Amino acid sequence: MWRYAARRVLATLPVMAVVALFVFSLLYIAPGDPAAIIAGDQASAEDIARIRISLGLDRPFAVRFGEWLWRVLHGDLGTSIFTNLSVTHMIGQRVGPSLSLMLLTLLLSVAVAVPVGVLAAARVGSWLDRLVMLAAVVGFSVPVFVIGYGLAYVFALQLDWLPVQGYVPLAQGLWPWLSRLILPTLALSGIYIALIARTTRAAMLEVLGQDYVRTARAKGLATLPVLYLHALKNASVPIVTVIGLGVALLIGGAVVTESVFAIPGIGRLVVDAILRRDYPVIQGVTLLFSLLYVLVNLGVDLLYVVLDPRIRQ
Amino acid sequence: MRRRDFLAVAAASTLAAPRIARAADKNVLRFVPQANLSSLDAVAGTQYVVRNAAAMVWETLYGVDHTLTPQPQMCEGHEASADAKTWTFKLREGLKWHDGAPVTARDVVASLQRWMVRDTMGQVIKGRLDALEVLDDRSVRFRLNKPFPKMLFALGKSNAPMALIMPERIARTDPFQLIREYVGSGPMQFRTDEWVPGSRAVFARFDGYVPRQEAGDWLAGGKHVAFERIEWQILPDPATAGAALQNGEIDWWELPIPDLVPLLRKHREVAVDIVDPLGNLGSLRMNHLWPPFNDPRARTALLMAAAQEDYMAAVCGGDDALWQATGSFFTPGTALYTEDGGALAKGRRDYAAAKRLLAESGYNGEKIVLMVATDIPITKAEGDVTADVLGKLGMNVDYQALDWGTVGARRAKKDSPTKGGWHIFHTWHAGADCINPAPYTALDAGGDKAWFGWPKSQAVEDGITAWYDAPDLAAEKAAAVVINRASYDNVTYIPTGFFRQYQAWRKNVSGIARAPLPLFWGVQKS
Amino acid sequence: MIRRHPGLVAGGVLLALIVLVAILAPELFTVDPTALAPARRTRPPSAAHWFGTDMLGRDIYSRVIFGARVSLAVGFAVAVLSSVLGLAVGVLAGFIRALDAVAMRAMDGLMAIPPILLAVALMALTRGSVQNVVLAITVAEVPRVARLVRGVVLSLRDLPYVEAAIAAGTRTPMLIWRHILPNTLAPLTVQATYICASAMITEAILSFIGAGTPPIVPSWGNIMAEGRALWQVKPFIVFFPAAALSLTVLAVNLLGDGLRDALDPRRP
Repeated sequence: MWRYAARRVLATLPVMAVVALFVFSLLYIAPGDPAAIIAGDQASAEDIARIRISLGLDRPFAVRFGEWLWRVLHGDLGTSIFTNLSVTHMIGQRVGPSLSLMLLTLLLSVAVAVPVGVLAAARVGSWLDRLVMLAAVVGFSVPVFVIGYGLAYVFALQLDWLPVQGYVPLAQGLWPWLSRLILPTLALSGIYIALIARTTRAAMLEVLGQDYVRTARAKGLATLPVLYLHALKNASVPIVTVIGLGVALLIGGAVVTESVFAIPGIGRLVVDAILRRDYPVIQGVTLLFSLLYVLVNLGVDLLYVVLDPRIRQ
Repeated sequence: MRRRDFLAVAAASTLAAPRIARAADKNVLRFVPQANLSSLDAVAGTQYVVRNAAAMVWETLYGVDHTLTPQPQMCEGHEASADAKTWTFKLREGLKWHDGAPVTARDVVASLQRWMVRDTMGQVIKGRLDALEVLDDRSVRFRLNKPFPKMLFALGKSNAPMALIMPERIARTDPFQLIREYVGSGPMQFRTDEWVPGSRAVFARFDGYVPRQEAGDWLAGGKHVAFERIEWQILPDPATAGAALQNGEIDWWELPIPDLVPLLRKHREVAVDIVDPLGNLGSLRMNHLWPPFNDPRARTALLMAAAQEDYMAAVCGGDDALWQATGSFFTPGTALYTEDGGALAKGRRDYAAAKRLLAESGYNGEKIVLMVATDIPITKAEGDVTADVLGKLGMNVDYQALDWGTVGARRAKKDSPTKGGWHIFHTWHAGADCINPAPYTALDAGGDKAWFGWPKSQAVEDGITAWYDAPDLAAEKAAAVVINRASYDNVTYIPTGFFRQYQAWRKNVSGIARAPLPLFWGVQKS
Repeated sequence: MIRRHPGLVAGGVLLALIVLVAILAPELFTVDPTALAPARRTRPPSAAHWFGTDMLGRDIYSRVIFGARVSLAVGFAVAVLSSVLGLAVGVLAGFIRALDAVAMRAMDGLMAIPPILLAVALMALTRGSVQNVVLAITVAEVPRVARLVRGVVLSLRDLPYVEAAIAAGTRTPMLIWRHILPNTLAPLTVQATYICASAMITEAILSFIGAGTPPIVPSWGNIMAEGRALWQVKPFIVFFPAAALSLTVLAVNLLGDGLRDALDPRRP
């Protein structure tokens, strides 16, 4: 078991190295002067010259990459062109809202999608099953900002139940924090619920098709919740896997959702950086979110050990 | 605490909490500014949003009141020689920087020296200056070699670059670089630690501030701030801002888009009004240094093709009561307003003639770099209309979607448009700044020293000089006619129409002044 | 057919209709989609403007049907491009051991970057254009295809008849052509439809957050980005492009699900 865990942890290192290399070399793949890209649209010729020196374009690529990586490993993601603040600091200011949004979405999605998927599998072919499958396709197809505006229109403007925008830290109270996150969470959950529910259904069908379950069902135990719990445990590996992989969707969706609901998170930071061509910020956020994604999936890999004893060997 | 008890408490507190945390605290004002605040330097930068923030943090020696008359603010008063060549100013007592140190004459001299490099009026003073000297801890003196009767207005005007007084160490910053430390002596101090660029900026009341005895009036008189905190929330999406105002999550929205005004009007707790009676002049700014707009024929072609009706309908959301077409570089309804020479700016658009003129100028299909600040509805609308006009003229448009902060910085680049420079950007000028040449930086046509676009016209410059030397209103008006004609001849820039704007606030907020900039003193919340 | 694969048929028919509209856009439009008419701005749907007009008085109906061209072109181009590139990488990695480790580590790394962020990072390097949007989204999709193809190749290599073919000295290109490609085609087609659907959404998101095609291009994302300021008062501006996008993506997804069921013999 420990050897498995160690192997998984080690396996993430080359992935992160490739991510870092890619994010770093983006600047040099693109047409144009990397110093001009780093300096942004507003830079003067002197700024660009200064940055060209600090980039050390005359030295070998590997050396530059090494130095950059060294700084990144020490938490230095560079300096924003626009605000002159350190990118690490700017991201730090905005971690709370993004993390709150993503964690709530994760919780809600799993809480809704898994039971729905199990139910659909239990009644495969029924109207309920068809409805779930149809809802899932729709969930995949309607973009998150469309859902977001729809929800805000109904629940914030027409019914006036919830605030339309903004973010309040948890420290200022549970309800002020939660009330502002309900609509964004719902909007962001759509596609994630669809993904998890579909996978749960498929995985459950696979397990329910196995002999021992068939026997149990034939004996009239079909309605026993215990049976489904048991089956769910055996179906959990693909479900957990897709939850991990879906984090990529979650991150992409958060970028949009934070814009729609004016949440001052990391996603908003990236969107603001686009119009300003604030490349160090975009680079830093890309790197950080990729790390998050890799870590979540490492966590999933390690969870396999708990869920499926066979993997320990 | 046992687990069950804890859950019970948690549940109870959830229920007891207000349904929504409204912006109810009357000690905090939540304000949505017109744009993102990217810096606080209203000497090196001329963006209105920067000026509006800086006017809370720093003060000027004099300040204009609502009649545009300069009144003493940081000064007890002044002494001017009869020939208007020697000006002595004495600081009033008790002025303190936000870090506790006293304001001294040395700070004043350093600040004014920095300001004189950047400001048009400051440059005139600098040109006539023999010495700007410290007399004692609280007194400074200008000695000029030519009279400058408009000194008090120059020091107290509300448009940027403002003659803001900063601590000497900050004022020593290169006038072309932005300051990095935000310590002032004004009624509010900037909370650098709470600043999240692109999201919020917080100003906390400065307890060491001693307001003047007189009643507050624009930048003059006692600045009594009723709030412990003024929180600026940057909401680039007007839909979000509108919804937040309706729900009471914000108190005051500086620049609601006109399309949302009917909706806001219907709301019981929201007030909507035109706060700035002097309105604004839309501006299409061309780069005079590079082809094709280095040729006056190309600029005239654009003037002939640009329809103010289109710009204004797009800017004002179809509310025709808000705008009027103008053939003038001056604010309609003010003393110097004249349409003399502005015939081409109004009426039916003649695309065929404009195309011929453009062809004569030698335009041969090069890309026109159009910088559009898409985060501000006014500049976005103007940019889209211009893209259409350029297309109709058969020009090749490179539409660059940027944010206002980037446009604000990039417009300063004189490089070729193919190398990071630009051809056209849009902005607008407050009507208060376009009443006469003194505060009107954009009117200047002094070439390299002029405002972005760098128009060069001796005729315009002569007109401006004539205005400065004008002994009476009749002579000022005559000078304005010269300026208007020369400006349209040269097409220094293209006024795209005169328009007013609404502001919107919650009805529990009172005391919002009719002024060309949002003033936070005198405002109250119940 | 309809009874066995209702989704496939529904999706196919719907998509065919939308493609038809896009192709016939120059015949179907009523007003020049880029013509400004600020005097007629934000008019609700009417006989003259079927979907109303936007903030600059442009006809939304005409913009939406021309927008179909942008969305479909992006979706299709990304699907084809990433399939071809992914196929190449996947097959090569599956056959050439030396390449496998390197190529797959690179693909793993690329996959670890959330696709939208990857596209944003690429778009921020260049100015917005349809070609750049296609390239940016393609880069994000290639590794997924490569992984799928490599998996198929590896599983095929161990099948007795393929082993026999290798033993008989069949040259690799022939092997790929005769045995590998036909077997990859089915899963690849299904994957390509999903890529098409997600590429259309990504394109709209990029435009929506200001990293996509320039705002003057009538793409659905751009129409929505411009209309969103008015979604409370003039919801129709956002509604029509949103509905068009959602319907199109739905059609493609239904088609993808249908194809998967139809092409997978193991499924009931």
